[in-house]
Amino acid sequence: MKKGEKLVVIGCGGVGGPAAMLAKKLMPDVDVTIIRKEERFIVR
Amino acid sequence: MAGLATVDSITNPDAMFENAGITNIIAEVTHVDTEKKIVELSDGASLDYDKIILGTGANPVIPEFEGVDLEGVFTLRSAPDAEKIKTFLEEKKAKNLVLIGTGFINLELAALLSENKPDYYNITVVKYKTLGPPLALMLDADMAITVQDCMVEKGIHMKMESRAARILSQNGQVSGVELETGEKLDADMVMVSVGARPNLELAKDMNLELGTFGIKVNKYLETSNPDILAGGDCVEKIHFVTKKPAASLLRGPSVIQGRLAAKRLAGYDIEFPGILNNSAVRIFDKYVAATGLTDKQAQKAGFETVSVVVNSRSKHGMIPGVKPWTLKLVFDKNTQKLIGGQIISDSDAPVKEIDTVNALILGEKTIPELTTLMCAGNPDCSSEPSLEPITIAAEQALQKLR
Repeated sequence: MKKGEKLVVIGCGGVGGPAAMLAKKLMPDVDVTIIRKEERFIVR
Repeated sequence: MAGLATVDSITNPDAMFENAGITNIIAEVTHVDTEKKIVELSDGASLDYDKIILGTGANPVIPEFEGVDLEGVFTLRSAPDAEKIKTFLEEKKAKNLVLIGTGFINLELAALLSENKPDYYNITVVKYKTLGPPLALMLDADMAITVQDCMVEKGIHMKMESRAARILSQNGQVSGVELETGEKLDADMVMVSVGARPNLELAKDMNLELGTFGIKVNKYLETSNPDILAGGDCVEKIHFVTKKPAASLLRGPSVIQGRLAAKRLAGYDIEFPGILNNSAVRIFDKYVAATGLTDKQAQKAGFETVSVVVNSRSKHGMIPGVKPWTLKLVFDKNTQKLIGGQIISDSDAPVKEIDTVNALILGEKTIPELTTLMCAGNPDCSSEPSLEPITIAAEQALQKLR
């Protein structure tokens, strides 16, 4: 992904949380948004 | 459920994402317009995207038999589920508990509740589909019987030769479970843990190609829409040994797939190797782990197998605190490759040797190669080298092939 592009992560369980965190670390210039419907979710 | 940690202490704090510069939204995604590349939310907001990573997880399977919607019937998958169960147990002072399903969730739950309040609960575990010893997805019957015996020894009633037929009620509340044999068990609370199904509503809304076990993805976790990647419980995976589509609803592959999807978008070309469904669970003082195929699963998949069971110990025999453990290895007789492993241990350290077995399967190691495996050893943390069970199992398999 290129600078300024938008990544949307849907779900914040086993996949979403780690995906969003690593995506931001590897691509700091990408706009990362994470969306979850649960108030909270078990850490994976 | 063990009461050892608060829900807040085991959940991702929103600040973790915000501090990393990630926008965090709590809302349900109601629709994704894949033409205009817009995500629509339940609060009326919308946002545009260039790429999506989808991880919608799975929901518990609810059996179709009578009584599953009664008050006092629960499934367990998330922290809120655990809170509801704990609140119900406390408020209703429930004592008679019937757990339907013999996978690791119910066995672990039975053990934790029993350990928390010894001699308080009357817990019965009953079968849902197949009969025979528990943990059939992890263990062959000859290994699982050890776990079953441990449960019985600790006071858990294990009804492994009869299936639940319906949940009984009185005044709208659960009162018992009737088995196919006609036997009726009193129940103040019923737990139903009989598996999970991928949550595919959003994937269907996005017109993504689906397989038998979830969203179809390639080795880079890309779906049929090149701008959408997916991972975890909602995707169909390929089994490393059978090379066929398989179900996998475990946290390990989910985390690895989430991180792999991020790496793919960052430009890495790393392939997902397939799943072995390696997993571990503690049930009372038995530590259980498995990876790859059981003997029964392998035979069902068409393999002719050679399997070996070896007993070992956690420390050298003269060291105080030494505990026994048992390893079962399953080999493909044709190629002589290792294709599965199971461990039951009376202490925690040996159970992680399943990761060694896992790595050896991924390395496609054969029986002869494993006879020369050399392991780190020390009197306080391993068996004597002469009792190292992977090499001994390989040697016994070698002899079986003569």
